[in-house]
Amino acid sequence: MNKLSELTHTVFDGVNHPYVPPKELRISPKLRLHRDAGDDFDPVTFEVIRHHLWNVNEEHGATIQRLSGSPVAMYALDLNPSILTEDAEFVFFGPYMQYMSGVTDTQVKWILENRSDNPGITDGDMFLANDPWVGAAHQQDVMLICPVFHDGELFCWVTNCLHQYDIGGITPGSFCPGAQSAFDEGILIPPVKIIEDNEIRRDIEEIYLRSSRKPELVALDFRAQMAGNIAARERIAQLIRRYGARTVKGVMKRILANGEKAFLQKLSRLPDGTWRDRTYVECCRPGDRGTYRVAITLTKRGDRLLFENEGTAAQQGAMNATYSGWRGAIMVALNQLLCWDQYFSVGGALRHVDFDPTAGTLNCASFPASVSTAPVQAMEISLYPAYNVLSKMIYGDPAMRRDVMCIGGTSQWPATIFRGIDQWGERYGYLLVDPIGGAIGAFSTQDGISTGGQSRTPICKLPNIEHTEQSFPLLFLYRKEVPDSGGAGKFRGGLSAESCFIPHNTDRIVQDTLSSGNAIPTSTGMMGGYPGTPNRYRFVTGSDILERLARREMVEDASEVAGQEVTLQLRQENFVQAPADVYAVVWTAAGGFGDPMDRAPQHVLDDWLNGAVTLAAAHDIYGVVIDEAKAVLDAPATQRLREATRRDRVKDIAVKPRKLKGGNAVRITEALLLRLDGRTPHHCCAKCDSDLGPAADNYKDHCLRQDNPIQASSPLVGDPRRYIDAEPVFRQFFCPGCGTLIENEIAVTTDPVLRDIEVLADDRLFESRPEAAD
Amino acid sequence: MSSYLVGVDIGGTFTDCVVIDESGAVTTAKAPSTPGNFAQGMIDAIESAAAKLGLEPARLYEQVSLLSHGTTVGTNAVVQKRGARIGLVTTKGHNDVIHIMRGSRGIGGRDVRQVVHFPESQKPDPIVPKRLIEGVSERVDCFGKVVVPLNEVEAEAAIRRLLDKGVEAIAICFLWSFLHPAHEHRLRDMVKRLAPDMFVTCSADLVPKWGEYERTTATAINAYIGPLTSGYLSQLDRRLAALGYRQPLQITQCGGGTISVDKAMEAPLLTLDSGPVSGVTGSLYLGRVMGYPNIITTDMGGTSFDVGIIHEGKPAYSFVSNVNQYEYFIPKVDIQAIGSGGGSLVRIDETTRTMRVGPDSAGAVPGPVCYGKGGTVATVTDADVVLGYISPDNFAGGRIRLDKEKAEQAVKDIADRLGMSLMDCASGIAKIAEFQMADIIRKMTVGKGFDPRDFVLFAFGGAGPAHAGIFARELGVAKVVIPQRETASTWCAFGAASADILHIHERVDIMASPFEAERINRNLERLEEAARRHMAKDGIAPERQRFHFSVDMRHKGQINEVEVALEGSRAEGGFQEPLREAFYRRYEQLYGRGSSFRGGRLEIVTFRIRATAETPRPRLVAAERLTDEISDAARRPGRPIYWADLRRQVETPVYDGTALLPGNRVAGPTVVETPDTTVVVPPGQTLTVDRFGNFELALAEGRPQ
Repeated sequence: MNKLSELTHTVFDGVNHPYVPPKELRISPKLRLHRDAGDDFDPVTFEVIRHHLWNVNEEHGATIQRLSGSPVAMYALDLNPSILTEDAEFVFFGPYMQYMSGVTDTQVKWILENRSDNPGITDGDMFLANDPWVGAAHQQDVMLICPVFHDGELFCWVTNCLHQYDIGGITPGSFCPGAQSAFDEGILIPPVKIIEDNEIRRDIEEIYLRSSRKPELVALDFRAQMAGNIAARERIAQLIRRYGARTVKGVMKRILANGEKAFLQKLSRLPDGTWRDRTYVECCRPGDRGTYRVAITLTKRGDRLLFENEGTAAQQGAMNATYSGWRGAIMVALNQLLCWDQYFSVGGALRHVDFDPTAGTLNCASFPASVSTAPVQAMEISLYPAYNVLSKMIYGDPAMRRDVMCIGGTSQWPATIFRGIDQWGERYGYLLVDPIGGAIGAFSTQDGISTGGQSRTPICKLPNIEHTEQSFPLLFLYRKEVPDSGGAGKFRGGLSAESCFIPHNTDRIVQDTLSSGNAIPTSTGMMGGYPGTPNRYRFVTGSDILERLARREMVEDASEVAGQEVTLQLRQENFVQAPADVYAVVWTAAGGFGDPMDRAPQHVLDDWLNGAVTLAAAHDIYGVVIDEAKAVLDAPATQRLREATRRDRVKDIAVKPRKLKGGNAVRITEALLLRLDGRTPHHCCAKCDSDLGPAADNYKDHCLRQDNPIQASSPLVGDPRRYIDAEPVFRQFFCPGCGTLIENEIAVTTDPVLRDIEVLADDRLFESRPEAAD
Repeated sequence: MSSYLVGVDIGGTFTDCVVIDESGAVTTAKAPSTPGNFAQGMIDAIESAAAKLGLEPARLYEQVSLLSHGTTVGTNAVVQKRGARIGLVTTKGHNDVIHIMRGSRGIGGRDVRQVVHFPESQKPDPIVPKRLIEGVSERVDCFGKVVVPLNEVEAEAAIRRLLDKGVEAIAICFLWSFLHPAHEHRLRDMVKRLAPDMFVTCSADLVPKWGEYERTTATAINAYIGPLTSGYLSQLDRRLAALGYRQPLQITQCGGGTISVDKAMEAPLLTLDSGPVSGVTGSLYLGRVMGYPNIITTDMGGTSFDVGIIHEGKPAYSFVSNVNQYEYFIPKVDIQAIGSGGGSLVRIDETTRTMRVGPDSAGAVPGPVCYGKGGTVATVTDADVVLGYISPDNFAGGRIRLDKEKAEQAVKDIADRLGMSLMDCASGIAKIAEFQMADIIRKMTVGKGFDPRDFVLFAFGGAGPAHAGIFARELGVAKVVIPQRETASTWCAFGAASADILHIHERVDIMASPFEAERINRNLERLEEAARRHMAKDGIAPERQRFHFSVDMRHKGQINEVEVALEGSRAEGGFQEPLREAFYRRYEQLYGRGSSFRGGRLEIVTFRIRATAETPRPRLVAAERLTDEISDAARRPGRPIYWADLRRQVETPVYDGTALLPGNRVAGPTVVETPDTTVVVPPGQTLTVDRFGNFELALAEGRPQ
C-alpha cells in the first residue's frame, strides 16, 4: 500500500485521496492575509484578551446549543466551535465534541487553497462543507466556516461543526450501516460559499436541504450555526476595535507560542521511544463475520511526535473513516493528555506532530468508501488506542504520570437505530443516545469514573428517560450501572450501564443494529489492567413481561423474563420489536490500570458494597476474600490467596531469572523498569528486579506467557463465535521471578505478540531520569 | 409604639442584621456567626441592633412587625457533607439515576478546564449510597397513565429495609410522578405509618417537573438537608417566641421572596443560595424606589463574584441549579458566579510566563497574604492593598488589620518572575480580575440579548466597590450605585427585610400548538387553587394575594425552553396569536433577531404561578436637603495611590463615607471609605451621595460595546 504523508510533501487532492494540506499553502494573491502581530503587550493585556477569546468561543458554542433543533446533536452535544488564525492554526476549540474541531483546520486550509481565487473569500462570506475527503468526519457533520476580516485583510476564522439529523442516504438519520459506498450515503458538499455578503444564497441552501428527510430541522440548525458565527465574528471585531488588530493578533500568536512552548517543555521531560497499540473492528457490512485490525504507532524523537496507522486493515464495507477522521481522533487524546494546562490550545503542539497514515486503510479510506458511520466506529477505534500510546509515553515522567488515562467506555458505539409511528401518530426515526453515558478509564493514581461520559465529548449529558419516553413510543424497564463492567486493575475502570426497553403505545418498532466491540473488548486496560466489558445487545422475544407488569412485578434485568433469547448480529437490519420483546443494550465500560491483585483490598470491599464488583470477581480477579455474611474483609485469607496465585503461576519455572541490582533505574510502566546491566540496558520487574531481557528485546518475550480464552478478560465477555470467525485470546505476561502480572494483551490468535513499548534506552535516559525503583 | 422590619443574614464569618423603623431609618449591626448553633449569632446580632437603637431586646422583639431570615444551614450541610443519612425510594429498575448523573460529572458552576481534564473531574461523593436506594414496582407512562400500580408489598418491605439501616430521612421519586403523584403520596403515607417522625419528601410535591434526574436530586438534597434545617428553624422559632417575637417568622428563599417557617421546614431546598438572592431582592426594591427598571447586581466577596440581572423590574430566573456538582430543579433568581473574589489566588505559569487570577481562592483561612494568617500566594486583596486602594487600618470595619509589607512582598515575588514593576503587577492583577468580571456580566447581558448600556450596575459585598468603576466602564455602563452606604456590606440582610412573601407553583403538561384554551385553563386553575390554599394556610387574606402566570415554551423538537409571561390569568378567545408573538419576541430577544422559526409548531411544557403577598416595606426617606458642601469631618488624611489610568502613583484624597452628606460630590481619583467597604473612584469618574444616602458613581463616558 502507498504511504500518504505530510512528511513527503505529497499533494493530495481531496477528491480521490483525502486532502492533506502541504506545509506551504498556495493562496491566491487576491486574498490579503493580516500578518501584523504585535509582541509588545504586557502579561496583563495578554491574560485579559486570552480570557475574552476563550469566552467568545464558549459563547459561540452556547449559542448553537440554544438554537439547534436536533435532539441527537443536543444531547450528545455533537457540535464544536473554533477560532483559528488567518493561516488556519488553532487558537481555541470548544469543550464539546472534541474530534470535530480536530477536522477543522484541514477544511479551512482547503478553502484557503481552493476558494481564495474563485469564488474568492471576502468579508461577509461563510462556507458550508461536509466532504470527508476534504476534511469532515462524516457527511452528517456539517461545518460552517466564517472568515473574519479587518480592513480588507483576512484576520482570522471562526467556525463551527454541527451534526445534522438527516442529510440523505439510504438510511434515515444518514448513518448507513448497509452502504456499499459513499454513493449510498448523504450528500457530499466540498466547501461552498453559502453566505455571500451576509446574505444566505437561497439557491445553494436549497441544494443543501433537498437531500434531507428533515429539511426543516436542517434549516433550523443552519441558522443556529450562522448565528453562532455571526456572534463570534462580531465579538472579535469588538476586541479589535478595543485593543487594535496588531495586539489581538499578537495575543492569538502568543497563545499558540505558549501552547508550543509548554508542549515542548513536556516532551523534553519524556524519553524517546516508540509505543504501539492494536485493536479490532468487527463486522463491516450486514452478514459479515470478519475482524479488522487497527494499528497505531507513536514515535517520539526529540521534540517531534509521529503517528502512523501502518498495519491497519484495508478499507471495507461500511466501517471506514478518512484521513481527517483519523487525525482528528488522535488530536482529541493529544489535547486532553498533553494540552489541558494550556486550555486545550492544541495549535502550538501540532507544529511538532506529524501524521503519516497509510492510504486505503479503514481509517484513511480513499473515495468512494462508505464513511457515514466513521464517528461511531473507525474514529473511535482510532481515538481510544491513542490514549494508550500517549499514556504509556507520558508515564515516563513522574509529574505527567497522573494524567495517564486508560481507554474509556463506549469505545465502540452499540447503535440502536429505530423507526416507526410514535404515540402521537407521527413518523419518527431515532438513534438511542444512551451510550454517551460511557465511562471514564482508570488513572494511574485513582479509579476511573463510572458512567462519567465519553471522553471525546466531555460535557455532554444523556437524556432523561422521561425525555426519551415523551418523544418515542418506548417504556424503559431499567437503566442501571453494570457490576463487573469496569476493567479490573489496581485502579478500576469506570462502570458502564445498560438500558432496557419495550415498545409502548405502538404495536411495533423497526430496528437496526450497528456495532462492533461485542466479541473482542475494545476498552483494553493498561500495565496489567483488564479491559472493560464489551458491547452487548440482549433481545428476548415473546417474553412474559406484559404479564409480569400486570402482576405488579417490574424487572431489574433482562434475564428475569421468560422468552426466546435471540442473538442480534452487529449489523442486523429491519428486525421488528413487538410489545413483549425485551431489548437491552450494554455499552462498553472503561479499562483498568495496573495489576488487580495490587488493588487495596479495602477498595475491593467498598466496590462490592457499592455494587461495582461481584463476590466472584473480587475473589477470582482481585484475589480478595470477603466474608459475605458479615460484609467484612478476610485480610489473612486475601493475603494467602494472592500469594498462592502468584506462586502458582511460576511453579513450573525450573530456573529463576537472575536479579538485576544497582545502577540507575528508570520506570517505564507500573510493573517494568529499565536498568543497566553493566553497560547493557535491561528490562526488569519493578517488584522483584528479575531480569526481563535486554532493552532491545520485547520484554514480553522474556515474561511467562499465558494464553487464555477472551472470556477470561472480563466476567461479562461472552462467546465470540456468536459474531466473528476469528478467535480472540487474552494473553497475560507474568514476571517469571515473582508471578506479578506485567501486562495483558488482547489479540486474534493469528496476530503476533505486540511490542507495545520500545523506550530508547540510551545513556541520556539513565543520566537524566534516575528514578528510584520505589 | 413603633414598628420595625428586621432582616438577618448569616454569613460564613458574620451574621448581619438590618433594622428599619417606620420612618425608614436603617440601623445595621453585625455579630460573629456561631457555627454549630447559628441561632445564637442571629440573636446576638438582633440584640446588638437593639443596643444601637437604645432599646431593651425584649422591647424590640415586641415591636417587630416582620422578621425575615436567610439561613445557610442547608448550604453548609451540603458543602461540609454533614447532611442526614437518607434513603431514596425510586421506580424499580431506576435506582441508579442519581449515580449515573445523566452520564455527566456535573458541569455547572465549575471551570471548564477542570471538567475536561478528567483526573480532576471525579463525580461527587454520593449523597445517598446505592445500598440506601430501594426500587419499588410501579410505573406511570408519558400520558400519566398507570402502567403498573404501586406494589405495596414491595413498598413496605423496602421501607422496612431502609428503617433497619437507620435512615434519618426518606426521599421518594418515581418516574412520571409529576403527572400522577398518587404512588408517591401512598408511599409517603406508608412511611409515616411505620415511622411517624421521619422527614419525608415526595418529588411531585417539591418540584413537579419533567426530567427524573434533576427531580431526584432535588428530592434527595431536600431530604439530605431536611432534618438539620427543620431542627434549626423550629428551635429558632421557639426561641424567638420565647424572647417576645409575636409575628410569623419569614424565611428567605432562592426564588426571591420569603416563605413561612413551616414551608421552609418542609422544603429546605428553597433556602439553598437564598443569601445571594436576597442581594438581588434588595436591589429590586431599591431600584423601584429610585426608578431603575434595569439593574446588573454584583456581589464580590472573598471567594466569588456573583451576578444577577433585573430587566424591566423583574429578576432573571433559572430553573435548574447546581450544588456540589449535582444539578437539580428549582425556580430560582438566576445568579451566576465566577471564582473571582478578594481572595482569588494569582498564579504564574513558569513555562509561558503568563499570569492567571482565580478561580481558586485563599478563602477565609488562610486568606490573603496581608491577613497574616499564613497565606503565601498573592490575591486580589493583596494587590488592592499594594495599590493603596485599601487602607490596612480600615478593612472590614477595622476588625482585621492588614499587613501591607507582606502583601507587597507577595506581589513583588510575582512581579519579579514576570519582569514587571511592583505597581504594574498589582494593577495588572486587579485588571485581570475586573475584566473577568466584565466577561461574565457580558455573558449574562450581551449573551442573552441585553445591552449593558441600558443598565445601572449595583455593587455590593465587601470587595465589590473597589473594582466596580473599572468593570462597569468596560461594559459601557454609565452609572454604578453602591447601595445605602453602611448597608452595602449587609445588603443581603436588607434584601431579606424588603422581600415579599412568594410561593412558586409549577405544573408540567406538554402540549403542541394549536393550543386548547380549555386545557391551558385547567392547568392555570389548578395552580391558582394550590396557591390560594397555600396562602390561606399562611394566614394571608385573599385581598393581599397577587398572582402572576407564565409558561415555558419552545419550538417543537427543540430542547431549550423560554419562559413567557401570560398577560391575564386565563387563556381567552384569540389568545393563540398574542401567545405565539410573545414567545417569538422573548425568544429573539434571547437568541437574536431572526433566530425563531415561524413556520414550525410550538410546545408548552411547564405552567407556573408566582403568588405573592406584599409585606411591610422599608420606606426610604429622601433627604430634604442636598448640599454640595463637604464637611471637614468627612476628610481623612490622603495617601499615595497607584492609578492604572495615569500609570503613576498620586497623592490622593480620602473621604469618610459615613460623614458625606446627600448631595456631596467628589471627583476621582479618590477613595471613599466606610466601615465595611472601600469605594474606589478612578480618574474621570465622580461619586455623588444621592438623596437616599446611596453612593452613585457617574462614569464620564460609557465605552461603546
